[in-house]
Amino acid sequence: MHTPLSSLDRRKFLRGAGVALALPWMETFADPGRAGSKSSPRKRLACFYLPDGVPMPLEKDPSFKDWSWFPHGGRTDFSLTRCMETLAPLRNEMTVFSGLSHPAVRRVHGHRNADQFLTGANTGAMDDEYKNSISLDQVFAAHAGEHTRHASLVLSTDGGTGSPRGAHTLSFNAEGRPIPAEHKPKRIFDMLFVKSGPDAARRLALSQSALDDLMEDARSLKHSLSKHDQETLAEYLQSVRETEMRVEKARRWLDVAVPVVNADGLKLDVTPEDPRNFLRTMYELIYLAFKTDSTRVATYQLGRENGVGISDYLARAVGFKAAHGLSHETKNPDGYKNFGVYCRFINEELGRFASRLKQTPEPDGDGNMLDHTALFFGSASSAFHLSRNYPLILMGGRKLGFKHGQYLKYGRGNERNQATSGISSDSGWNGEMSYTELPLSNLYLTMLQKLGVETESFGGSTEVLSEV
Amino acid sequence: MKNAVLVMLVAYLLNPFSWADVTDIPRANLETYRERVEPVLKAACFECHGPKKQKGSFRIDTLDSDLLTGSDVSWWLEVFEVISNGEMPPEDAEARLTDEAKAQVVDWLSSEIQLASQVRRSQQGHTSFRRMTRYEYNYSMQDLLGLQIDFSRDLPPETSSEDGFKNSSEMLQMTVGQLMQYRTQARRAMELATVRGNQPKPVYYGISMRDFTERFDSGYAASVARTGKRIREEGFTLENALEEEEEKYRKRPGGTHFRNLLTGQGVGARWSYPGAKYAWTPTRERPDIPDVMQDVVVLAPNKKFIVDVGNGLPDTGNMRVRIRAARLADDDERGQYQPTVRLYFGNQPSNDSRLSVKVGGDIVIDAPPGTPRFYQWDVPLSEVPRNAFRHSHKLGQLPNPAEFLSLLNTSSVPVSLVIDYIEIIAPALDHWPPESHTRIFFPSKETADQRRYAGEVLRRFMERAWRRPVSEDEVGQKLQLYDRLRPRCADFQEAMIEVVASVLSSPKFLYLGRTVERGEGSQRITDLELASRLSFFLWSSVPDVELLAVARRGALSEAAILERQTRRMLADPKVGRFARHYTRQWLGMEELDFLKFDAKAHGRVDPLLVESMKQEPVAFFSEILRLNRPILDFVHSDYALLNDRLAKHYGLPEVFGSELREVSLSSEGRRGGLLGQAGLLAMNSNGKDSNPLKRGIWLLDNLLNDPPPPPPPVVPEIDLADPEILKLTLKQRMEDHRDDPACSSCHSKIDPWGIAFENFDALGRWRDQIGGAPVDASSMLFNKEELRGIKGVKDYLLANRQDQFARALTHKMASYALGRPITFSDRSEVDRITVELRERGGGLADLVLLIVKSDLFQLN
Repeated sequence: MHTPLSSLDRRKFLRGAGVALALPWMETFADPGRAGSKSSPRKRLACFYLPDGVPMPLEKDPSFKDWSWFPHGGRTDFSLTRCMETLAPLRNEMTVFSGLSHPAVRRVHGHRNADQFLTGANTGAMDDEYKNSISLDQVFAAHAGEHTRHASLVLSTDGGTGSPRGAHTLSFNAEGRPIPAEHKPKRIFDMLFVKSGPDAARRLALSQSALDDLMEDARSLKHSLSKHDQETLAEYLQSVRETEMRVEKARRWLDVAVPVVNADGLKLDVTPEDPRNFLRTMYELIYLAFKTDSTRVATYQLGRENGVGISDYLARAVGFKAAHGLSHETKNPDGYKNFGVYCRFINEELGRFASRLKQTPEPDGDGNMLDHTALFFGSASSAFHLSRNYPLILMGGRKLGFKHGQYLKYGRGNERNQATSGISSDSGWNGEMSYTELPLSNLYLTMLQKLGVETESFGGSTEVLSEV
Repeated sequence: MKNAVLVMLVAYLLNPFSWADVTDIPRANLETYRERVEPVLKAACFECHGPKKQKGSFRIDTLDSDLLTGSDVSWWLEVFEVISNGEMPPEDAEARLTDEAKAQVVDWLSSEIQLASQVRRSQQGHTSFRRMTRYEYNYSMQDLLGLQIDFSRDLPPETSSEDGFKNSSEMLQMTVGQLMQYRTQARRAMELATVRGNQPKPVYYGISMRDFTERFDSGYAASVARTGKRIREEGFTLENALEEEEEKYRKRPGGTHFRNLLTGQGVGARWSYPGAKYAWTPTRERPDIPDVMQDVVVLAPNKKFIVDVGNGLPDTGNMRVRIRAARLADDDERGQYQPTVRLYFGNQPSNDSRLSVKVGGDIVIDAPPGTPRFYQWDVPLSEVPRNAFRHSHKLGQLPNPAEFLSLLNTSSVPVSLVIDYIEIIAPALDHWPPESHTRIFFPSKETADQRRYAGEVLRRFMERAWRRPVSEDEVGQKLQLYDRLRPRCADFQEAMIEVVASVLSSPKFLYLGRTVERGEGSQRITDLELASRLSFFLWSSVPDVELLAVARRGALSEAAILERQTRRMLADPKVGRFARHYTRQWLGMEELDFLKFDAKAHGRVDPLLVESMKQEPVAFFSEILRLNRPILDFVHSDYALLNDRLAKHYGLPEVFGSELREVSLSSEGRRGGLLGQAGLLAMNSNGKDSNPLKRGIWLLDNLLNDPPPPPPPVVPEIDLADPEILKLTLKQRMEDHRDDPACSSCHSKIDPWGIAFENFDALGRWRDQIGGAPVDASSMLFNKEELRGIKGVKDYLLANRQDQFARALTHKMASYALGRPITFSDRSEVDRITVELRERGGGLADLVLLIVKSDLFQLN
């Protein structure tokens, strides 16, 4: 619908005289504070979650050498087991962590943990009222999202929001509400690379008209106020102006052409019934979204906790019926090995994605795309249902300041991971902690600061990890 | 009288310092500085921080000693810090500070700093113009639209002002995020209030316990029939039947169970989520309600009964849950107990993911055994957590898409209830279109001309929402918005929803109060402004139709009518909002929401007891207001508002039922008044033990409006590892701690009050001993008066501090009523109101009326 010229008058100053609408980037119209940032390098964040933990055999178990998830050895002289050897080419671009976990939920059953992996919140016990807080990716998206068409990409194999303490998404907004995750490759592709329909334009136009009206109300109210009260009202006026600017920006994106992407190589109708290809397709979509700068923030929950979702099928890629069951059968013959084979596959696909980024030069920048992307992978359980000693890997982002090539063991009293190994019954996850661990949010705060977010705290942490 | 006050106020506004004794603006205490403090500083500090040397680039001799108007306050704060923590003078300096000298400096500095902050706040002017608070917004939306929905849940919480009030103009800001929230909520409200098309066909669940039991025990009906026959024909008695049952099961089922009341046969109730095996399916036709049956479910105290409703409930609309229930006739017949039952709603999609939230308050089941009747709750389905899988998954699949209702017997005494039939209707609509819709889209002759009708609808809505008549221009402006939106909207209603949502996002809705240019002198506020001020004071919401009409006629400012309207509002149930929000803010009760009791020290504390503890002060205030009891009842009363749990907690004679009601107290003075209320004592503890310091501060600040100065930045810790210190009682430790001269000046004024509460533990229970030794709750005030325990405090307050208490309450209530801090220039009015209150016998409702009639309230 063509907007009558008269209603544009007030907004002319936002466009600047004579600037064409086809400009792809918003920096020209962004806050004065960002005026010089057009050429600053991009920073990206991608977070991945594996449910149900990883193989944690005790040292005396014969499968310890090959199939323990954590590497053997020390800070720089560590050796990868068969679970992680597929990541060997990326050794100097990765950091493995042990001894980190979220303090609020160390005695919570592991299957409830997907909800707080990126938030660190105390999501309560069964039946309790549910409260969560903003997730790591959304904090960064608030900062980086205005540069791109999509503030962030939220994906999961199972799709939707899931239920409280059984999440199907890693991302939570500022009010602690889950952001629904996409899980169908075709829909994701269309959202990123196919022009949006007329409804978006309509809704934005409605918003603009409504905001004009509010501005008028505020002006007419202002006349009847004392000077002091006018200052109070100024906050309202300022809020309207800022909202208008956001709506204006969103509306401009509608006129900007979507990036042209060749979909020939992609099988957009793939489902988790074909798990390896499904995973690869999802990773590829994230890759394309990053490459075209459609977004700089992505989360992908590989699977929901506790099985009972289609994500359980992922284990079929390596010949098993269901993924969740593998974490329960570690005491069976070859139990750790089978579980390890599955985790190896997961690490392999992750490595493939990271390598793809590594092999792609950074558009408009120096180095490769991996250098500018922080890839974070992990689970919120180590051994069976145990919400401690999370298995975590951080990759990429060398140009963001990550050192890498390290195996960092935090906490004290569990340096060889034995206190969190060999557990296969429910009494294990609720026991007392005779060792200490550091808050995972310390790492998150470190990541945020390296990603350029000016903040002194996240998820209750105010300290960073200087070794990272 | 009023004119005189007006003249005084105008005079003050023109010349702030001309009425020193009336307005009593404090001045900096320069005499004490010159006589006592400066000599100390000269001796101890000028050497290194004076004309000859300026260590650390700091000179103390040139600081402006007037903290109230001077510009060196931040330097003085530094000085305060380093002297009180002993950093200065440094160890190796020649100069020394004696204990006495240190106390002089610290004393003077701490009171000057506190005074300075008050003065500076005062000088910021006294405007009432402010945004609505979260709770005011919520009630206003609810009252305007006629919907019982929480509109404020995503709005950020308010900060309290120094006075403790959330509706204080200086603290209420507006940000982009909030504006977006208001717009979202306004649209959401409009979507919920209005409807489209025909009345949606409801779904019905009609569940008899007989059918329910059949699911657990398919032979149940037959076996009941057999036993029934034996009873009727063979003289088999119920006793015999029960004996047989007990024999069969070894014991009477203690958990929730089904039972036939005639034959005594029963089977335990159970529920689990996988496969949604226990789910009921709804029907499109309302099942006939059967006659009362003898097959019931029995719920004992603290036991739940889960009814799985599958995934058949609609997404929105009102769900009406009806239970036909009665008290269970028990062996020891205690006719005076009546069970209470509460409703929960939830779902369990998978093993570790389950949610169950309270959606219906306690209902008292007063039907006697054998004559059950229906009780019901109304639950807005759009407002409760729903199962995210209910549309995407089928019953039987995992994650489980089913939802359930859960009934909990919340009685605190052993009395059970029985239910024989449950009916659920969703959506349950008493009218179509619902009242909330026709309130906005009222019937009119003009509906054919859409734009004209739009104008009518808007004018009426705007006048109610903005609390005043609207001009042609204002309606015209909204109609212009309508014109712009209409072509882009599918229909008239959609466009109207957007425009009305705009009316509710406008600052003309969100902001209250208005002031005139300073210097113009005080003016009487208009009747419409008075109506708003009155309704936000007593109802935390927009004026109702009657109040607005009176104001529009210009009649509200007439004394008799104003009084009548005020009394009407005091008698309206909405005054409960005043009781709740004022009491909670006045007494600082938010702390109680965050309190966690130490499990090791106190075991598991009944959450229903904690709920009662939170309700007690509010109910107490409500009662005093309703009956216009003297405000001194807050200090001590010979009655309390109690329920069963509180009476038990206090060790008082048994009370029946969970409703709070007035109970007479004996005269020993422990309870009665605010000082002995468990919730207030508990929040002034640390979860494990009492905290005399917190209690002392609370009393001084909240009840006497005489807060102590804030502590210095560095407070030395009590060394609890020192064995000598461990041996002392808490009182002795505090005395020992207090001896440090840097601390004693303030603490000698705080601690004695708090020590007097030592007979109350961290839960507010009475104790005569602590760790084996008798409690010593006696202390000495700084003026050498002795306080002996709680009774001593009450006696002392009633004998010496009545005026102070009355003035404090007046001050605080006026601040709440005006929505701004009380400044020095208001003091005279506050004093006048206090005097008049005392002359009238000092009832709480009298205070409200005096405030409403005062110039404070009626002038801007």
